[in-house]
Parts: sequence; structure tokens; C-alpha cells
Amino acid sequence: MIEEPYRWVEAIANRREYIEAQLAPGSPIAALGYRDGILFLTMSQTRQKIFEIYDRIAMGAIGHPGDIERLRMAAIESASTEGFTRSATDVSLRRLVHYSLSPVMKAAFEQVYGAPYLARMLFAEIGERPEEDLFVRVEYDGEIATNGATYAQARQDFAALSGTQQSRDLMEAFLATQHGPEADLETTFNSALDAWSIGHMTLQTSDAKEQPERTAVAKHREEQLAIAGIEAALLERDAGRAIRYRLLSDKELRPLLRD
Amino acid sequence: MERSPVEFDQKFSGAAGDFPALLRGKGLLAPAPANSLSQAGTPPKAWQPTEATTILAFKFSGGVLVAGDRRATAGNTVVYDRADKVLEIDRQSIMAIAGVPATAWEMARVLEHSFQYFRRTQLQEMSVDGKVRALSKLLRDNFGFVMQGVGIVVPIFATYDFHPKPEARLYFYDAMGAQFEVTDYAATGSGSPAVRGILYYENNWGTKRLHELGEDEAVSIALRALDTAAESDTSTGGVDRSGKIYPLIKIVSREGIVTLPESKIAAVFKETVA
Repeated sequence: MIEEPYRWVEAIANRREYIEAQLAPGSPIAALGYRDGILFLTMSQTRQKIFEIYDRIAMGAIGHPGDIERLRMAAIESASTEGFTRSATDVSLRRLVHYSLSPVMKAAFEQVYGAPYLARMLFAEIGERPEEDLFVRVEYDGEIATNGATYAQARQDFAALSGTQQSRDLMEAFLATQHGPEADLETTFNSALDAWSIGHMTLQTSDAKEQPERTAVAKHREEQLAIAGIEAALLERDAGRAIRYRLLSDKELRPLLRD
Repeated sequence: MERSPVEFDQKFSGAAGDFPALLRGKGLLAPAPANSLSQAGTPPKAWQPTEATTILAFKFSGGVLVAGDRRATAGNTVVYDRADKVLEIDRQSIMAIAGVPATAWEMARVLEHSFQYFRRTQLQEMSVDGKVRALSKLLRDNFGFVMQGVGIVVPIFATYDFHPKPEARLYFYDAMGAQFEVTDYAATGSGSPAVRGILYYENNWGTKRLHELGEDEAVSIALRALDTAAESDTSTGGVDRSGKIYPLIKIVSREGIVTLPESKIAAVFKETVA
């Protein structure tokens, strides 16, 4: 089959379609950089989707749990080995993604007789100042998108991950108008929750191009809060300690809810 | 076929949390050397363990106090007078070391990364028993070097255990990796016989038992003990009165680890020791 080039292209296209369909129902994840850190947030009913990778790096992922697990382990292994042989400050998200994860994912995706990784990941690395925060999205085919690497576009202090591109676009459009790096945790948390709600609502509708109504978002958020738990983690900017990752519990966050 | 830059290990079982094994797999941690005594034909060399230092730890009312002098020696020469021998491994664990610094610091580094690696991969904190055992295993793996006369390490490990009953826990080890949990105090290094004597005396016939002491009283006893050890042991720095170099003192408690500021140690020293 792959002796003929056009067959290979066709096989890749089919595979892309298949993976997109598998990832489509994935519940969104929002990562927002603010004054004191980076907040990762999603709502979930069952499995964990936000993870610690290294001292200053966290990850959120949607996809098949087995694949997410393999990629997560590889990322931790690679970061820990680097941190041990050199130093924790030598571990960088840029290198982790560009040199370790992306090539492996691309290779798996293009070898049509093997299984691709059914996963889409969002990484963040906390900087000393909000301008230095780095957000990187890695797709199942090894494609990388960062918050500031495309020079034509203004730097963003947030990133979103969702099952469909349309859902992600709407989350990003919302955050671009609603979120700034000077916000405190409470404001950031509420923006993140609204962004999540918008992303989650638009997963189910096939052609939402416009932002949903404010009241509809509030209603959806209300309904989801009643049936699902808030899963969130912080990368703290506090330079006093080496390990910046901290899980936030649902109980800790609910009092910060605002209408 | 060219190998990908990251080898994805397919065996994700419980063993995935073993960081030293990962390092060995990548050739980043030296395998334990063959024991020189087992080589046929060579008579066993007489070896003198050198643990030139004094480390002590005891439980008091505010947790566990761990103190170490600052002197590093090579034979009869003092090579460094600001060595840190009381090392933080994670938010509530301290490893204090007597022995060869190169091996000990490397061991502390492996241990620190092991605990974090376990937490990150397995998504749960390693249990206190697991941590204690991890250090024991490192010591055991290092024993070949000890028998060759290089690389002896005799540590103390202090940590706070939240399960099943919240309490501070204290262990000492021998060079082969046997671990001993203690209820009151532990000391290691060349100056430890004197320290052990003092702590035994204080615990039995002092004004208060060690675990009843307040923080200032505990610091005072630690300073007196180290000063006594330094009196007869040339390898122990004690308190450098002219250079104003004080021992390193850290406290492990429910809230984590506190490193006592030098000003505080100096104040207690001035009031109760000098």
C-alpha cells in the first residue's frame, strides 16, 4: 500500500479523520497565566487530566488514557534525567517538546502500520514574570503551537485545549477579551471556568461560530458544577521553592465562584 | 533502523517509579563495583572507615532537630569550613550525612529525584517506609565502594509521617544499609561517641527529657553537644568562635522543614553556651 505515494497520503488523511473523531468529545482544558502563577482548569467526572511533569512544568491532556500515560511517562523521564544529570534550571519545556515529544509523535503518526498516539496535550512552564510564561500545545501528529512563537500574532497569556478546533477557537477568543496577566486567582479562576463552559457547550453544537450568550454560558456552568468536579492545578510563581506545582481541590475552589 | 530520541518504555508497571533503575538503564549512575574482598588471590585490605564529622538528631516538643557541624576534612587537613551536611530531600525529609562528601551528596541527589519521580509518575507521595527503604537500597548498592575504602556514608534520616498517626520519625543507618528507627536521638560521625553520651545523659537525668524540650532548649543542647564533640575530635568543627561559623540546624515538623537562621543560633549560643 505505501509503495504508492498517493495511497500513503490517503492513509494519513484517513488516520487524521479517525483521530479527530476520537478526540472530539474531549472535555476542554484551560491554562491561564496570571500575576502569581499559571492556573490549569477542567471539569471532570472520572479520570485525572492535569499532571505535574517537573519543577516548573505541568501538562493537561485529552485522548486515550493509555496513550496519555505513555507520553506523560516519557516527558517525566526525560525531564527528570535532564534535571538529575545537569540541573533543574536546565530542564526546559521548549527542548522537551521540540526534541523529545514532537519527533516521536510525528513518527508514530506517519508510520501507517503502527498505532498513532491518540492524544492532544497542553504544556505550560512558569516563568519568573508573566511575560516569560510559556504555553505549548502538542498535537497527535507532533504539530506544535506556542503562545508566542508565531511572531505575527500577539503574545497570549493563556492557552486552551479542546476536542474540536472550533471549540478551542471560541475559548481563545473569549480569553483574549476577558483575561489579562494582572488578574488575581479569583478572577482568573472564574475566567477559566467560563472559558471551559464555552468550550464544553460548543463541543456539542456542530457549527457555532459566534460566542454563546452570556446567560447561556452561566446556565451551562451552573449545570456542570452540579454534576462534575473542578479539577485544577497551579504552577506558582513563588521563587522561594523549587517545586511550583500544586493541586487545587474542588473544596478549595468553590468558595471563589462568582456569577 | 534509526532509533527515536526518546525510547518509550512499554512496561509501565509499579517498577516505573524506580528512578535509580532508570538512571542505570541510561548509564547515568555507576553500577555498584565488585567487592574487592571477593576477588580471589588478593588478601583483604585493612580499611579504616573515615566518617570525619559529627551529626546529631533528636526529637523534641516541636518535631525533630537535626544538627551538623560545618567542617570538611581530608586526612589531617581541614579543607572546608562551611560544608552543609544536613540536606533537605523533600518538603518534610532531611538526610544528614557523615562520610565521604562526594558519595553522600550524590546519594542525596538521587534520593531527592527518586521521591519526586515517584510522586510524578505514580501520582501519589511515596510512603515513609518506602523512602526509608530507598535510602537503605542506595547504601547497600554503595557497599562495594565502602569495602574498597572509598565512599563510606553513614546517614541519619528524619521525616514527618502523616499516616497512620501524624508524628516525626527518625532513623539511622549503618554503612551496609541496615536502618534503625529510634525513639529519642541518633548521632553519627567521628564525634558521635561524645554526643551520644551527652544525649543519653540529658534524656535520663537532665532537667527535662529530650522530647519535652522547647526549641531554644533543644538548640542549646545541640550546640553544647557539638562543641563537646569538637573538643576532642579534630574532624568536627563545632562552633568557630572567631570566624563566627555556627553549626547548621534544621527542624522537621508537621509544617515542613525550617532552617534556623544563623542569628538565632548565635543568640542561643551566646546566652547558654559561650
